Amino acid sequence: MSGILNWVLWLPIIGMVGVLLTPKENEKAIKLVTLVTTAITLLLTIVLYLKFDTNTPDMQFVFKIPWIAQFNINYSLGIDGITLPMTFLNALLFFICTLSSWTVHKSPKGYFALLLMLQSTVFGVFFSLDFFLFYVYWEVMLLPMFFLIGIWGGENREYAAIKFFLYTFFGSIFMLVGIIALYYASGAGPESFNILAHQGGKFVNETLTIFGHTISFEKTMFWFMFLGFAIKVPVFPFHTWLPHAHVQAPTAVSVILAGVLLKMGTYGFLRIAFPIFPAAAVEYSTIIAVLGLISVIYGAFCAMAQDDVKKLVAYSSVSHMGFVMLGLSAMTVQGMNGAVLQMFNHGTSTAMMFLLIGILYERSHHRWIVKPDGSKGFGGLYTKLPKYSVVFIIGMFASLGLPGLSGFISEALIFLGIYQRFTTITVIAVVGLLIGAAYLLWMFKRMFFGEVNPECEEYEDMDNREVFYMLPLCACVIFFGIFPAPLLNVMKASVGQLVDLLAKFQV
Amino acid sequence: MIQQLLGFLSYYIPELMCVVLMTTLLMAEAAVKEEHGSRDKIYTYALAVLALTLIPLFQNLSKPPVIIFHNAVTIDAFSTMIKIIMVLGTMGSIFLSRSSKDIYTNLKSEFAIMAVGVLIGGMLLASANNMLTLYLGIETLSILSYVMSSLKRDEATSAEAGMKYALYGGLTAGVMLYGISHLYGVLGTIQFSEMIGGLGSLEGTNMMIVMVSFLLFFAGIGYKISCFPFHMWSPDVYQGAPIPVTSFFSIVPKLGGLAALVRVSMVFFNHETIISVSWIGLMLVISAMTMTVGNVTAIGQTSVKRMLAFSSIGHIGMMILGVVVLNDVGVRAILFYGIVYMFMTLIAFYITSHLSDMYGTDSIDVFKGLIYKHPLMAIIMASVLFSLAGMPPFSGFIAKFNIFSVIIEKKYYGIALVAAVNSVIALYYYMKLAKTMIFGEMKSDEKVAGFTTANQAVIVALFIPVVFLGIFWEKVMIMSGNAAIFIK
Repeated sequence: MSGILNWVLWLPIIGMVGVLLTPKENEKAIKLVTLVTTAITLLLTIVLYLKFDTNTPDMQFVFKIPWIAQFNINYSLGIDGITLPMTFLNALLFFICTLSSWTVHKSPKGYFALLLMLQSTVFGVFFSLDFFLFYVYWEVMLLPMFFLIGIWGGENREYAAIKFFLYTFFGSIFMLVGIIALYYASGAGPESFNILAHQGGKFVNETLTIFGHTISFEKTMFWFMFLGFAIKVPVFPFHTWLPHAHVQAPTAVSVILAGVLLKMGTYGFLRIAFPIFPAAAVEYSTIIAVLGLISVIYGAFCAMAQDDVKKLVAYSSVSHMGFVMLGLSAMTVQGMNGAVLQMFNHGTSTAMMFLLIGILYERSHHRWIVKPDGSKGFGGLYTKLPKYSVVFIIGMFASLGLPGLSGFISEALIFLGIYQRFTTITVIAVVGLLIGAAYLLWMFKRMFFGEVNPECEEYEDMDNREVFYMLPLCACVIFFGIFPAPLLNVMKASVGQLVDLLAKFQV
Repeated sequence: MIQQLLGFLSYYIPELMCVVLMTTLLMAEAAVKEEHGSRDKIYTYALAVLALTLIPLFQNLSKPPVIIFHNAVTIDAFSTMIKIIMVLGTMGSIFLSRSSKDIYTNLKSEFAIMAVGVLIGGMLLASANNMLTLYLGIETLSILSYVMSSLKRDEATSAEAGMKYALYGGLTAGVMLYGISHLYGVLGTIQFSEMIGGLGSLEGTNMMIVMVSFLLFFAGIGYKISCFPFHMWSPDVYQGAPIPVTSFFSIVPKLGGLAALVRVSMVFFNHETIISVSWIGLMLVISAMTMTVGNVTAIGQTSVKRMLAFSSIGHIGMMILGVVVLNDVGVRAILFYGIVYMFMTLIAFYITSHLSDMYGTDSIDVFKGLIYKHPLMAIIMASVLFSLAGMPPFSGFIAKFNIFSVIIEKKYYGIALVAAVNSVIALYYYMKLAKTMIFGEMKSDEKVAGFTTANQAVIVALFIPVVFLGIFWEKVMIMSGNAAIFIK
């Protein structure tokens, strides 16, 4: 059974080779190869879920062989309750994105090859238990993203691709310094690149000297790692790359970016920054909470100001990822569980929003709620596109946290968790929820109600393919909104272990 | 006596082969007819002999170190490793000159002759065991380099390059010699092994003189590796010289100079003395400034040759960090970096050379839409650029990772941060070029870039190690590590 993670990780690469071997002219075959690959990967992750033991916080399906033995670098994989939901989400979203990319006709060979490569690298980030391997996947992931945004993106794609790349690279190079420092601080032994071996606050008393000042090793390295992950999440004030990348990226890439790539940042906190530097994490949890809070409120206000609906959803991602940061900073059982659950739920609901905007864009070729000249971009879509509107309503309400849909459960858990630590912040953060409801409903009003815009007269409703790939997401959003237990059970043990660890360092 | 000399010579076979090659090439050049084919034979001959020198070089790699020619020359694994990289770099540049239009047809064999000459100088420099051999190596290397840079003799930029190179070179060589003569004056010897003994017992004025002399000495080496503040010549020379010469300059003389720097640092400053502390300080400042100046200036360049020149200054800054730590792990990192850098630089210049031949300019625009004209070359070039920027899974990342690793092991966190910020700056301008190649739309009337099959094969062959060493780098790293142990 231990080899199954290898299959999940390398199957997309096999599919990529298959795509590259298919002749350029045969678009359909290229798309079918991608679809079959992602479908099998999705099935494998379901097998993972069924075989998963929910009672242990330990890593499961572990696979470990030496890679560069002389430097104690291992090819070591494993998943626990935090990564399993992310694995499933990744497999699901790529399957859906393949279907949604059926309309891509610009060099499909390169597009689908890069898409599969991206999927493999994202799996790699979530599976890696070795720091070196983790870093390699973390960086390699940038390459397909750079090209996907830069070649298949919108008008301003070059700027967006470069900005995205530079920001992430800037964060990760500091992370690299942190990783190497950890390697030597732990004695450069056989376990020195093992992520799990560092956990538990082993560096509390270490110091280091930088530019002549002696400072705490743990605190410094916490901030190095923080920079790498916070840019990825993105936490205010590192969020400025996100709206550009989202607006310029093609639909499927936006979905992946919001759906799974942002989660890599919060995953980094859960797996690396918090467990390895628990004392620093506890000490600075107020700062993290405040930054999360600013992301929530500021992201929501920015979203409200947007005329471009995709940019609106992009800023709403900043706001929703802020909730995840709030949940993390709570360091309580409810808060942490809520944060991990929100990572999954935001993945499904925001993916729905981006897919729906993509569907609309294919008909309208613009995304303006209000056009730059002041006229309305859309109007009366509700009467013209009934199927589309129903799906949109589900996605939007899941996003704003309506009880009964998935967003509510995770946000409620986060608030329950953080109230125990930061009462004032909780009170202000609830306002963020209100603003969230306001901008989404206002957007909905302007686009779907009112008189039918003459431009919208000839729009066609969703076809069967589009309905088919929206269905699993609708199902997720509704099912986990009513019955989140399957997810909570999976993550319970692993999250509990982390909370226990952090509790030891709280005064 | 004869017996001893023959014994020495058995270690010196690679250099002797190069000398024989150079002289025979000179004679062959005189005999060459302008008819088709005879020039190709010269190329085949030169490349074959250079390839053959790799055999004794690899044999020397596993032999214990020896000092030959009465303390003048060390043959150890470190110098041999540097020589292997230099021979490969020379072969790559000579092969590039074959198809390059930048070197006139009647001067092509002359390029090969001078390249081999510079290689001999570089080999001498890498093995130098006393100040005189070191100076001799630098001069052999330099004088032919001056001629090479003005090989495009009817162009003003090329003549300017040669003139600039010669003037700066002459000045720094003089300064260096001045430093060496003071060292001789204070210590009474030019043998490295005997000089170390004298360094320990210095006091007062003599100490000052020796410190200043080493500073003056560094000018000569710093000029060869074009580190700050001796770097100003290199962009102009790189731009003015024909592309094969530029590619050659960014590999062979730089690695030769770096080898001398490593040896001098490891021999003299490997102990806790006041001088070695000052030397480390000097190297820290030099490397930080070199990196920053190289990378920041590269951003604004529109000529690809000039950009690569500044980027190579940035890379030298990174490599100097391996000297700062003054241990064999640092030397190992430098050797690995050197190997990877050689492959990456050659590919970058190969592709630039073909495109600039085709469009008659080396502006960044010639790369526009390369992905549509020649997808394979565009993908390779993009990968090499990302490798130069230090992105995994390419070998450039491993090279960078090792440099970071050695400086953080010694707890130089400050310089690690400088290097970190620098690699972000470097990524920006590499990405700008990658962007031009891949995101730019192709104009319909442009002709398709033609790379000959032979050149494509060579580029692919050079590209394989760039990827392979990014994933399975253990063997080469162990090899570099073994080579680094010997240097003392």
